[in-house]
Amino acid sequence: MSDGELRTDGGATTDVRWNLEGVTIEDAALYIVLLLAAAFYLVPIESGLVTSFKTGTAIVETAPFAPPGASGLTFEKWGSAIDALLRGMGNSLLYAVPATVISAFVGSITAYGLTIPTWKKSYKAVVLMLIIAGIFIPYQAVLVPLTQFWSQWVQLGEALSFVWALGIPNDYAGIIELVITHVAYGIPICTLLFRTYYKTMSEEMIESARLDGATLRRVYRRIVLPLSGPMFAVVLIYQFTQIWNDLLFTLVIVSTESSPAAPVVLILAGLGTSLEGQDFALRMAGAFFAALPTLAVYILFGEEFAEGVAA
Amino acid sequence: MATLELDSITKTFQDGDEEIVAVDDVSMSIDDGEFLVVVGPSGCGKSTTLRMIAGLETITAGTLSIDDRVVNDVKSQNRNIAMVFQSYALYPHMSVRQNMSFGLEESTDLPDDEINQMVSETGEMLGISELLDRKPTDLSGGQQQRVALGRAIVRDPEVFLMDEPLSNLDAKLRAEMRTELQRLQNNLGVTTVYVTHDQTEAMTMGDRIAILDAGELQQVATPLECYHEPANQFVASFLGEPSMNFFDVTLEGDRLVADVFEYPIDEDVRSDLGDVTDLVLGIRPEAVELVDEAGDHEFETTVDVVEPMGDENTVYLHFDPDADPEHAEALVATIDGFNRVSEGNTVTARIPEDAVHLFDRATGEALHNRSMEDAAEQIDL
Amino acid sequence: MLDFYRRLYRTIRPSLGDDEDAVRTDGGVVNDGAAGSAPEPDRDFRTRVEAALDRHFGSDFIESSIFWLPPFLLMGLFVYGAVIWNLLISLTDYQRFENAPDYSNLDLEMYTRALADSGFVDAAINTLILLVAFTAGTLVVGLLLAILIDRGIRFENTFRTIYLLPMSLSFVVTAQFWLWIYNYNNGIANSVIGTVGLGPVSWLGNQNIVLYAVIFALMWQFSGYAMVVYLAGLRAIPSEHYEAAKVDGASTLKMYWRVIIPQLKGATISAAVVLMVFGMKAFDFLYSLSGGYRPPNGADILATKMVREAYANLNWAYGSAIAIVLFAMALGVIGPYLVYEYRRDNL
Repeated sequence: MSDGELRTDGGATTDVRWNLEGVTIEDAALYIVLLLAAAFYLVPIESGLVTSFKTGTAIVETAPFAPPGASGLTFEKWGSAIDALLRGMGNSLLYAVPATVISAFVGSITAYGLTIPTWKKSYKAVVLMLIIAGIFIPYQAVLVPLTQFWSQWVQLGEALSFVWALGIPNDYAGIIELVITHVAYGIPICTLLFRTYYKTMSEEMIESARLDGATLRRVYRRIVLPLSGPMFAVVLIYQFTQIWNDLLFTLVIVSTESSPAAPVVLILAGLGTSLEGQDFALRMAGAFFAALPTLAVYILFGEEFAEGVAA
Repeated sequence: MATLELDSITKTFQDGDEEIVAVDDVSMSIDDGEFLVVVGPSGCGKSTTLRMIAGLETITAGTLSIDDRVVNDVKSQNRNIAMVFQSYALYPHMSVRQNMSFGLEESTDLPDDEINQMVSETGEMLGISELLDRKPTDLSGGQQQRVALGRAIVRDPEVFLMDEPLSNLDAKLRAEMRTELQRLQNNLGVTTVYVTHDQTEAMTMGDRIAILDAGELQQVATPLECYHEPANQFVASFLGEPSMNFFDVTLEGDRLVADVFEYPIDEDVRSDLGDVTDLVLGIRPEAVELVDEAGDHEFETTVDVVEPMGDENTVYLHFDPDADPEHAEALVATIDGFNRVSEGNTVTARIPEDAVHLFDRATGEALHNRSMEDAAEQIDL
Repeated sequence: MLDFYRRLYRTIRPSLGDDEDAVRTDGGVVNDGAAGSAPEPDRDFRTRVEAALDRHFGSDFIESSIFWLPPFLLMGLFVYGAVIWNLLISLTDYQRFENAPDYSNLDLEMYTRALADSGFVDAAINTLILLVAFTAGTLVVGLLLAILIDRGIRFENTFRTIYLLPMSLSFVVTAQFWLWIYNYNNGIANSVIGTVGLGPVSWLGNQNIVLYAVIFALMWQFSGYAMVVYLAGLRAIPSEHYEAAKVDGASTLKMYWRVIIPQLKGATISAAVVLMVFGMKAFDFLYSLSGGYRPPNGADILATKMVREAYANLNWAYGSAIAIVLFAMALGVIGPYLVYEYRRDNL
């Protein structure tokens, strides 16, 4: 059985070839390799999961990837992890959700303005290059100015003093700063993602709308935006994962895990470390708990996520 | 309802360091209510011209006026023009009704119920009333075509622009729509510019046709004028199927001398030629006659191939019986379908002097055409 | 019925086509607010300026700027503005609890200091090793996975989902997993090599090993990404190429090596660029491994050193200088990449 033939129409032949006669040693080897690779990707996660349910003694006595067994099973670590992280989860949602929605929307209108309307390609390319280069900037290169900006120039903490008077801890200024920061740095990737999508839109359809008397604003509102649904799914999922997972900005903007506004990643990074050594069960439970939103998103919308990272 | 005036319209594109001239100094005026068909081979600049009228391309030089108002700098959305695209360009997320109302909603302040009424009436006119609540993806190609048409009609614009609107339809539907479009345009009386590469559409639909080649306007005239009195060799060869026969000839005294024959011309024709001696002689296949008698304009030829078309036969003739048929100059004639000739026969072909066209070989310009009156007389006979 | 249209349109027309300017301003191009009250000559002037700008930049330039210009400026301020500001700070002596840098006295002191700092040199070397080894390794693993998955297998989606799963996790989370795997007494890494009689190894304690242990963990996290990119590249190759190679009698290995892989150049370049950027962002991972600004000995990279110098040691200017070096490295990778994409008309 020749592999070249098999490949030719990709997935379509799968059903045909999956009959018992067709299973050769080569096929078997292929699946064994695929399964081993799957194990390689899953074991660290699986090991973390079983460990999170283990008592201190079970951790030492059982293999790291083996289940805890009845005697070594405990939910206590999950309890303490949730206690420690729940506040951070709330804080993370507080900035991740608005920042995701705003940056997706802003990315959509930016990409629209740079893709659909007609103006000189060479000028467009310059703007696009500057935007796309923004995706790849190492954030270290902007950290010190960012700190300066938020701490010396734009002192949200003081500007919003009327809010703190309502009894909200003024650390929450950091949450607003995080939203703005993530939106600003999210514009490049969101723009790029939407642009790849808008480039495939029918030019004649847009031209037809222009001739129908619609301004660019109306074309966006009535034609492009309603057709952007699939890309919004991709961008929202990608951005949410990125923003939720980011540690660097939270570190320099909120800075301490003891702050009432501390996001979950910041608390998790220091969780389970104490003078007596590292509490791995607690760390694993915390890691899983903190990863729950992104894992849920990934499992529900894996296709969109893959599309987002591939673009 | 408007007149449309193109004055020395030019469009150039920048391709790297090269400047490509897509449309070169095109001038024409289109009357109120006229149906003008712009035709030419692909890449001749016809679509670019249309897109400049629509405002989808900027005009590099020249002026474009609608009803004597210069609109070079007016954006598409403010030109009050409706366009039917080759791909129909329907909005996929809207129902047919929404597709058709879109233009009225965007370009007028009409209340919703009036828009609705106008859409319904247009739908009725086009026979798509029962499709109004469907989405474009649920429609057949022909139905989508009608919706695209309806979307343009309902706006009652000053000018209709159509960019090969029928080329995605199958042959039968295309013929039907051709008639229907003509009827619609006639009833509505809206100035229409229609772009196509199909000469049948050009000949049958337009009040006048404009023929473009390599960005340059070759001729604007009624279909019959273009056919019988072509301005140059390009127009003569572009219109007509099978294409006009051409022979390189040299004027020697009162005779045209070709490689394989000599053709005497009379004084009237001679006087049209001025002092140009390098010429091209053209004769339409249907003007060539197979006769029994011999004469100055009759030639002995050998039948190479006969293509029966039913009502008529297309016959490929050679002047030199010994020549290699692959390379010999052929004379194509269309003759009555009942006229039985077969391959290898020797026949006498007449090239009537009143039907010949003569072109300047250097410029391609027509120096002598058959007269329209003569052509008309022959058709009457 | 047609007459009904005619009449209708005659009543609408005056409000419509007549006044180009009014329609234009309604389009909301430039300062909507002033449009109504502006005196006539001003409006003419503005119309003329707009027309001139549009002629120069393209017909929709002004009208479209409302969409892209504000986001572009916001992003430009935060990215390019900040980088330039950062460059400026790196030329000062800003440190400790000074409120703001003193911009009056600019010099390259911080850069000379960096060259003399063995910690900086080590971090720079580690960064290069990490970038090269991590990128190359991840690309190879990703390519192999993509080829396997592309062979028309069953459960393709399931396998793909599993391989890409680590990518959805935060560095902070995966660092916890790998901390546990690399644990000296109970970690999987040591029990695996223990089965063949090796170890135990102090993965994170041994200065010579720790960097590679980190690279391995990062490869685990990102090879799924490389796989997705390569898979898209493979799917774009017409099946005739496989058939032609087969007809020519090429073995499977030769077919991939000589026919298929050369066609994946585009995918390789874009995946490599993105991976290098991920590699430079490895800060989150290293920070979480140690739970602090100082990563395990031997695994310090520029990204971690920069943040440590600035935020732990409060050497703001020095941190900025390191950041500029890191930025220059990134520019060296993305500059050529963007030019490449521009040439291929992909922008």
